[in-house]
Amino acid sequence: MILSKRMLPILGVVGIAALSACGTSTTTPSSSGGGGSSLASCQGSITVATDLPLTGGDATDGPPVEKAAHLAVTQANANKVLGGCTLKYVSKDDATVLKNGHDPAQGAANFTALSSDQSVVGVVGPFNSSVAVAEIPVASQNHLAMISPANTNPGLTQVGTNPDVNTTSLYPGAKTYFRVIGTDITQGQILSYVATKELNFTKAYSIDDQETYGKGLSTFFQKYFAADGGTIVGTASLPGTTKDFHTQVADAQSKGAQVIFFGGTSGNGCGILRSQMPASLPELGGDGCQDNKFISDAGSNALGSQVTSAPDASKLTTATQFYTDFKSTYNEDGTESPYTPYGFDAMNALIQAIKAVIVANHDQPPSDSQTFRDAVVAQLHQISYSGATGTVAFDANGDTTHAGFSLYTINGTKWAPKELLTADATGKVTVAG
Amino acid sequence: MSDESPAAADGMLVDQRGLTSRSHRGAASSPAVVATSTVLRQLYSLVQRYFPQILVAGIALSILFVYTTGGLTLMGEQIKNALVLGAIYALVAIGYTMVYGIIELINFAHGDVFALSSFYALIIATSFGGFVNSLATGSGIGLLVALVILFVTTMAAAGFTGMAIERVAYRRLRDAPRLAPLITAIGVSFLLEGFMLVKFGADNVPTKNDLWITGTALTLGKVSIAWTDLFVFATAVALMFTLGAFVRITTLGKAMRATAQDRNASLLCGINVNRTISATFFIGSALAAAGGIVYSLNYHSIQWSLGYRLGIIAFTAAVLGGIGNIVGAGIGGFVIGIIYVFGGQLAGGEWSDSLIFAILVIILTFRPTGLFGVDVTTRA
Repeated sequence: MILSKRMLPILGVVGIAALSACGTSTTTPSSSGGGGSSLASCQGSITVATDLPLTGGDATDGPPVEKAAHLAVTQANANKVLGGCTLKYVSKDDATVLKNGHDPAQGAANFTALSSDQSVVGVVGPFNSSVAVAEIPVASQNHLAMISPANTNPGLTQVGTNPDVNTTSLYPGAKTYFRVIGTDITQGQILSYVATKELNFTKAYSIDDQETYGKGLSTFFQKYFAADGGTIVGTASLPGTTKDFHTQVADAQSKGAQVIFFGGTSGNGCGILRSQMPASLPELGGDGCQDNKFISDAGSNALGSQVTSAPDASKLTTATQFYTDFKSTYNEDGTESPYTPYGFDAMNALIQAIKAVIVANHDQPPSDSQTFRDAVVAQLHQISYSGATGTVAFDANGDTTHAGFSLYTINGTKWAPKELLTADATGKVTVAG
Repeated sequence: MSDESPAAADGMLVDQRGLTSRSHRGAASSPAVVATSTVLRQLYSLVQRYFPQILVAGIALSILFVYTTGGLTLMGEQIKNALVLGAIYALVAIGYTMVYGIIELINFAHGDVFALSSFYALIIATSFGGFVNSLATGSGIGLLVALVILFVTTMAAAGFTGMAIERVAYRRLRDAPRLAPLITAIGVSFLLEGFMLVKFGADNVPTKNDLWITGTALTLGKVSIAWTDLFVFATAVALMFTLGAFVRITTLGKAMRATAQDRNASLLCGINVNRTISATFFIGSALAAAGGIVYSLNYHSIQWSLGYRLGIIAFTAAVLGGIGNIVGAGIGGFVIGIIYVFGGQLAGGEWSDSLIFAILVIILTFRPTGLFGVDVTTRA
């Protein structure tokens, strides 16, 4: 990883040289780019990147997704998906020591660096919605496609869904943002369904971590919990550095809360909160809590927690090959984070879009990087790719067309999927399996 | 600005006259300004004079308000939470106050010594094949032995760390301008944080001591008090009384008080000043280590950056109690704990930190000597 970072400028130069070489070679007409094109005449190197939190408090979030995305690139090169062209892979870490995890400022800096590298045509990332808020404008201005495997805040794509995010101002240029996961509107509806219909709770206490994602999810949970007939007995909004939740737990208990909802990430206290709650009071959370960090922070109190997260793909037949390959490459089973196959699919969708652009351009990458990037974005808007997690396709906003979330409970010392839930346009939640 | 100049007779000048000379007030061109300033001045002196009473009344009102709005159980739970939190603040605050008392230095590295010693405790508990850990979870007697081993070794290790910091970073600067040791203190603070970050990682480190002390000790009404709560509180109070007795009774304690009063005179009396100051750092750091141990037994996870925020809160406790005053720091710790928890309950947890530092500003403006502060010369 360090090597690839150091090599970034070199890669950029190589990429530019390669692209200009391609440009000159387009004079030779090739066989028309149909589906069966082998792209054998394609020449050059195209760079794809990931931007994920890899260190600090998020060290259990980013790395599996990064590995999956890297695997997709390795496989594409091995299978000659782009024919004679090769893919270069660059990995960026948006975590900093200062923030002990994901840092929006670092994410924006990473995107500025990636954008100025003309060989980069698309990025998979980021993981956190707060980082996305900082990165989307940079990507938008530079026409750079970005596919998030994990952002759930609806305000990133849908105008007027989150008072804290000015969606319109996120896109000063082209709309280049996509995501392969559903939004917190759906997640909020599903969490409320779980709390009110499955667990029969009527009183909930909600705590958030003051971040874009956590605050947003908490707001949606509160909204739908109230709509489903429940009462929010109290709320708290605490910074991610909070280590002591005793005051809020006592407050929740005195108000008769049957469950404490946490909108936020494990790095911001989801598991620490659990460790300070009485075992008899359950905790409910979103996808930010579903990781090993939660389990280690919660300690002996981890049991009795339920969270929703990305739809579980570990039992899908479409994902069998991915998990086998992941295991043989990294010697890990890849099921630690449900987001892992989404990193793989996001990268593969990007590669497919790049391929489509090359095919349409007479089997050569467009010589002008701006044209190339714009074409990749256009291709992503109409892509329909059968990936490990199902069909990857995006609507006009860049959101995934199949949105759902799985409910996870702790089984022994690991998160285990309990069921998959989906919500329709009217907000009606159904258990899909 | 000159009083003689008629052109300068604006509101501000009148205001100044009002402050210095009462006879001019009636003739002032802007009576509203004067009236406001008089009221403010009276208010200021009132707050200054009755600061402890106002503070106690404020706290009592907050507790009463929580009682009336949330009921007895909530009030009891929060008092328990406040005392547990306060006990940890108090143990750390004593180190700040002792060092200030004896060499008039705000030892900003102290919070990081606290965090570092919680890592010492973790290392001691898990090394030798987890001997101490298995001892602690084995039986009641085993737990007692394990705690004694843990407290003695960790406090000694932290004590020597504190002595080393004083020897390296502060001793040579003892007669340098005030600012110099303050800057080295900040330097040492960052050094320790950097060391912990590299050595133990950026993440929360689970201490895996959840099973050391478990269960509920007693239930008062509907408030259940866990053994850990009781343990944290009792440890803090016991250590504070021990320290109080130590400073009052022993020769070294007497030497510490003498050095605090007048270092040069102490030297003339044959007191080994360097050794006395070293001992002060040792004791202060050892108490921070005790704080670190009870913290890790209560929260079960520690982090490199822990000492920064907690250190400044403990420093506020020391200032509130009257910096240099050991008993004051102990009480200040508990008061800050109460303000933190009840402020969080009433205003929302997101305001707790702001509230604490607002208190710091208020104390320094209205009552720089704190609740129990006395003249510099009698500090110890």
